[in-house]
Amino acid sequence: MIEINEITAGYGRVAVLDKVSARFSDHRLTALIGPNGCGKSTLLKAIMGFLPLKHGSIWLEGQPINRLRRKTLARKVAYLPQECFCPDYMTLGELIELAGYSRYSLTGGPSENDRKLYRDVLEIVGLTDQADRQVNRLSGGQRQRAWVAMVLAQNTDIILMDEPVNHLDVKYQYAILELIKELIIHHGKTVIIVLHDLNLTSTFADDVIMLHNGVAVAKGSVSETMTPNNIRQVFDLDADIFPRHGRLVCLPQMPHSEKLTA
Amino acid sequence: MSLRGLYMLGMVLILAITTAVHLSVGVGTMPDTLSALISMNAETYEQAIVIYQRLPRALIAIYVGAVMATSGMVLQGLIKNPVASPSTLGVTSGAALFVVAGAFMFGLGAAAQGAAALAGAFFGFLSCLAVARVAGRQNDPRGLALVLSGALVSMLFAGITNALLLSDPSQRSHFLSWVTGNINHVYIDRLYMFWWIGTLAITVNAFLARPLTLIMLGEEKAVSLGVNAMAVSWLAIAAAIVAAGSAVAICGPIGFIGLIVPHIVRPFASNTMQYALPASAVTGATLCLLADLTAKHVFTPYTLNTGLMLELMGGLMFIVIVKKFYLSPKMERAT
Repeated sequence: MIEINEITAGYGRVAVLDKVSARFSDHRLTALIGPNGCGKSTLLKAIMGFLPLKHGSIWLEGQPINRLRRKTLARKVAYLPQECFCPDYMTLGELIELAGYSRYSLTGGPSENDRKLYRDVLEIVGLTDQADRQVNRLSGGQRQRAWVAMVLAQNTDIILMDEPVNHLDVKYQYAILELIKELIIHHGKTVIIVLHDLNLTSTFADDVIMLHNGVAVAKGSVSETMTPNNIRQVFDLDADIFPRHGRLVCLPQMPHSEKLTA
Repeated sequence: MSLRGLYMLGMVLILAITTAVHLSVGVGTMPDTLSALISMNAETYEQAIVIYQRLPRALIAIYVGAVMATSGMVLQGLIKNPVASPSTLGVTSGAALFVVAGAFMFGLGAAAQGAAALAGAFFGFLSCLAVARVAGRQNDPRGLALVLSGALVSMLFAGITNALLLSDPSQRSHFLSWVTGNINHVYIDRLYMFWWIGTLAITVNAFLARPLTLIMLGEEKAVSLGVNAMAVSWLAIAAAIVAAGSAVAICGPIGFIGLIVPHIVRPFASNTMQYALPASAVTGATLCLLADLTAKHVFTPYTLNTGLMLELMGGLMFIVIVKKFYLSPKMERAT
């Protein structure tokens, strides 16, 4: 479990997060949502220790996270940045093998268990037959699944993902989030994910944290947080929220365009 | 067998053949060469040539090639720029300046010149960093400012080196060919003095191969996977600089091996350092030996400086690299 206590953090002198507190429960998918620049990515980076905290503290399983050694943290928490870059000519198999770095000794490599894990992971994301292909030659959807596979190959209980479904068409957006959901249900993972799409959020998330100008405006389950009031406050947008087939649908209103469509 | 296995095997074979040719072309026959190598004792003129001239030359070429190529591989990976190398980041010109300045102004001997070369290599790279910082290194994810600063710093250092050379005609002749990169048997004592430096540096970088590869995925990704990115980067860069400095101490600034070998190696050995570093070492050694062979025999009775030969080959490759990475629509995928 990750617990953050009134953290203030940012870049240089600019504080992006302003005394944000939150608790991320085990085996749940928590979505961070909010407009651009509200501090969603910053929150993930603060958890990973990339940014100095000006105030507050972050706890992992009851220990202050900034006291953990890098390799220890890498065995507990995996992180998928917004933009990933793979050097040319590197194959998918080589990329996946790098994920286990924190488990390898200085001269050693992956164990038999590691190799089995890597095969399983490629099967989970449906890229088993692509292991020998260069990552930069994969299609956009395959490449995104490759990065998800790398995060899984790190074999951590907690996974942080920064907009993992950006740049993907709608089919792969659902495919990847379904995959993540399955990992939570069947493999007991805990996932914190930055999302932009409110309907994806209401479909897949268990908990939601809504950020606005670096402040956590709303926290709680999907049904508690996805209200027209909160959406208006966070996104400055009027939206209809209604249930359909057992999940909430968010339909933004377009007061200025109604005349155009009428 | 995998492509990289085949490449490695092929390269080792080519290196062996090139070495054999290098040792036996010219005066004497193959049996002369063989018996000389086995006994390591020169009884005839031909055997003396093999042991005291060709073998030293070959060993220096192999050392310099391996060291420069691996340094280039590490620098290109860390700086994320396809034209990064010891010769484009001020390292070799800094080392050359310090050696010439040390010899001309303080009368340093060979061993002290080696120390000066290492110090100069660091000074060159740090000057390059400093100039890049003034130009705004923070907004330079692809190392472009760093490479341009390297060009600037190299020109300045080369200018000062030339000024020093011109200042003292009596000493000039000793250094005139050294300063353009000259693989020559007279430098074998320096190889015996400094070979362990490059060997140690390559070993350090070989141990860092996996974290180095991870840093190429981006610093945050590497850190999240458990790499102490800052420490690994600086240690690897320091090793690369020391190695290149030791090569300069032996036979002057041999350029372009560090620049072009990584580009030759990657398509076969991948960008994963565990494979790319040994492949670079063998390819660099082979290329340097081939260049030396060409320089020695193509224009007989004249011999060309190996450094000049490589500048010629490297210049052409440089155009190809720049065209591929900077003038193509896919330039964001550099390295």
